[in-house]
Amino acid sequence: MLATLVTAVINGLRGELVRVEIDVAPGLPACHIVGLPDAALSEARERVRGAIRNAGFDYPASRITVNLAPADIRKRGAAYDLAIAVGILVASRQIRRGNGSWALLGELSLSGTVEAVPGVLPMVATLARQGYRRVVVPHANEAEARLVNGVEAIGVEGLDDAARLVAGPRGRTAGRAARRPAVELSRPSVPPPTTGRPSSSALTAPLEPVDLADIRGQQHARWALEVALAGGHNLLLVGPPGAGKTLLARTIPGLLPPLDDDEALEVTVIASVAGELRDDGLRRDRPFRAPHHTSSYVALVGGGPQLLPGEATRAHRGVLFLDELAEFDRPALDALREPLEEGILTIARAHGRVRYPARFQLVAAMNPCRCGNFGDPQRRCRCSTGEPERYVRRVSGPLLDRFDMQIAMARLPPAQLLDDARLETSAVVRERICKARAVALVRNVGRANAHLPAAAVQELCALTPAAGRALADWAERNHASGRSIHRVMRVARTIADLAATVQVDVADILAAAQLRDPQANPDERLAA
Amino acid sequence: MAEPQERDAWIALASTPGVGDETTARLLARFGSAREVLAGAADGRVDAWRAEVRKSEGRPPITGKALGELRRTASAPALRLRDIEQMGLSTMTALDADYPRRLRDLDPPPAVINIMGDAQILFRPRLVAVVGTRRPTPAGRLLATRIVRRLVECGVTIVSGLAVGIDGAAHAATLEAGGRTVAVIGGGHRHPSVRAHERLRAGIIATGGAIISEHPPDTVPRLGTFPRRNRIIAALGDATVVIEAPRRSGALITANRALELERPVFVAPGRVGDWATAGALALLRETPARPLVGLDELIEDLGYFAAGPERADQRAAPAKGAVAAPGNSDVAPALAMLGETERTVATRLVAGPAGLDSLVADTGLAPAVVSSAVTMLLMRGWVQPAGPAYIVAGPLAR
Repeated sequence: MLATLVTAVINGLRGELVRVEIDVAPGLPACHIVGLPDAALSEARERVRGAIRNAGFDYPASRITVNLAPADIRKRGAAYDLAIAVGILVASRQIRRGNGSWALLGELSLSGTVEAVPGVLPMVATLARQGYRRVVVPHANEAEARLVNGVEAIGVEGLDDAARLVAGPRGRTAGRAARRPAVELSRPSVPPPTTGRPSSSALTAPLEPVDLADIRGQQHARWALEVALAGGHNLLLVGPPGAGKTLLARTIPGLLPPLDDDEALEVTVIASVAGELRDDGLRRDRPFRAPHHTSSYVALVGGGPQLLPGEATRAHRGVLFLDELAEFDRPALDALREPLEEGILTIARAHGRVRYPARFQLVAAMNPCRCGNFGDPQRRCRCSTGEPERYVRRVSGPLLDRFDMQIAMARLPPAQLLDDARLETSAVVRERICKARAVALVRNVGRANAHLPAAAVQELCALTPAAGRALADWAERNHASGRSIHRVMRVARTIADLAATVQVDVADILAAAQLRDPQANPDERLAA
Repeated sequence: MAEPQERDAWIALASTPGVGDETTARLLARFGSAREVLAGAADGRVDAWRAEVRKSEGRPPITGKALGELRRTASAPALRLRDIEQMGLSTMTALDADYPRRLRDLDPPPAVINIMGDAQILFRPRLVAVVGTRRPTPAGRLLATRIVRRLVECGVTIVSGLAVGIDGAAHAATLEAGGRTVAVIGGGHRHPSVRAHERLRAGIIATGGAIISEHPPDTVPRLGTFPRRNRIIAALGDATVVIEAPRRSGALITANRALELERPVFVAPGRVGDWATAGALALLRETPARPLVGLDELIEDLGYFAAGPERADQRAAPAKGAVAAPGNSDVAPALAMLGETERTVATRLVAGPAGLDSLVADTGLAPAVVSSAVTMLLMRGWVQPAGPAYIVAGPLAR
């Protein structure tokens, strides 16, 4: 007997429909899976057999052929297990199909439980678009599946639950249909904590958030960070070790405005595909990703055999923080130039090609030289002649050019470090940032100031005549290129937004010019 | 002047790699003249003398390699001269009557000095050497600029070593102030200094200065050539000013040579514990070098009097926290021209270099206000970047 079902596959961030045909025919017992399966999928054979048996069904001693169509899409992962298993049960007449029409997603364990799979949200969204209204998903993915409107998503814990759903209330489930208990030899002696998300891999472990009020001094850098976050401007912090660059960056999560609905969906889809979404539903927090400087090209940009999204995509709509910028792999850094400009990363490999969104704000920190003391009056730079130059050269000029704001930070004098005066808290600053962003989004039709197209900069920045003259004067003295003039205007626009003024005035222009501090530009710094 | 043939032989001898001042002096003492030395090298008398001295003293007076070069010189002395000509250099020898008096104080004086630019500059009155570390702090750089500017106003020609750091700042400030400067380099003229100073070198020559070396043009500077070069800087300067010198700095060698020549040495003191001035402080403790306490005092001690207006009576009070902040006397009228916030920021910078964060902390102004004020001052040219900090420039750097 032949049974057909529908499931889905992830390709980039989009789901694609996959039909599963299962034929159970007389013959020598065997199971063949055809239709471009990868290794994980080929192993579905073994998982499905174990799961069927241990869920209390019989694995048919017949010739089983599983066909995954369309045949030209490469099928990855284990999300088809559930569909294959249920299909076998129907084709071997152990359950009878009820009235409902179901699409199924989920990985099986040998015990017959249904395990979570990545990418449920975009897969369910695709199924919904294609007219499938009822989807069976792993219990752990239920919350994200329900984010899709107009779909009845039901989370199941075991193959038997799925079988009962498909069979319907009056449907017949054959045989014993009772789960066989596993002999658990290893079990935790205390129950694992149930609260909190499981932490992600060590490379991306979230930094402990810090409140701005806990940071002493560095008033210039705090202000610069506020401007950067309000306008979405890329920010480079340069300073000796101990100046507080990393600490300042750790305040970023507490300063970011929440995602709006569309952005939240995008971010949630990415988290889903990356397998980072577990029990939680829609992501409302802007991503803050801080990959370690030893991260590989693939970790940062994406790729690998499954063409998974990298940190750049996982930071979409949020902040990508690269600490010790000069220590990163140079090809990996240069690969970030395209998404910084276009907001999109295209990963093309021999076995496929995907486009991931990657509109992130880049915040980076680096030392002025290898030993970190270059230019410090109190501490001696131990680098040899020419070494500071080689150090900063590791970051390519075009990448440095993508930073709208470059800030030099110095070590605090001890007196300031011990000063008890508490500065503004993150909550206060965050409110200003949110307000400025909201104003900018309305004026710029949905764009942050940093992403104003060149054609619109002139109009939207609304310079006063005096500010226009100051800008022209500054540009002439500094031999500024068109690109850097626009950059100053965009940052000036943000400064004016933070002050809630409609027009950009002279002081805003001059302050913006300063925020691309020549002192912080490693190239110019060396020349001084 | 010595007869031309002897002078040419002398230059050829001094241009022989491996034959330094000491060796030359011994050779001349033994053979009488440079021509005789070359003749001796050709016919084996120098070899015989070398063996003889080695026997009696246990050490040869000239290395085997240098002897080989000397024989090559003897066979074609013109080749050694041609190189100097090709570079367009003029040459002075210790044989010449018009050899700089200041260099005669050295024992032995450099046998040959190759000069690019105006040779007469070495005879000018009021030569002062300004030297310091290759890695100055912003404060040191600023101090060098101020001192040089003041000295140039008094008609002083600045001597330094064309290295990066204080040396470069001293040369550059001289050009900026419209003065003339002598750069003493550690190698030959084909290897003048770091690439970064290419424009500076052109400027030195274009403004009537000179780049001089005791080496033939092809000599590659080595670690050992720089300390030797420093004795020429010390001898050329009627006085030496040391701005910043960490321990084991080359500037300390220059200072010690100047002290041996009984030339006055002025050392800018620093804060106790700062690495940048540790060597300078040691110099003050261990030698008769004198502390530099202010620009006016320096001019007074040197006995130089400015062509410009008398300044001694309008000296400003020493600024808070500044290391030997010399006479910020003339900044008041400039400050008065500024708007309120710019003036606040400028006043803080006159007291000493500061980064943006210090400016915000010290002035109590908002970061946005400080940023725009600094840009304004940068655009006026009244402030300039120096390392991670800003320093005053133009009319504020008096």
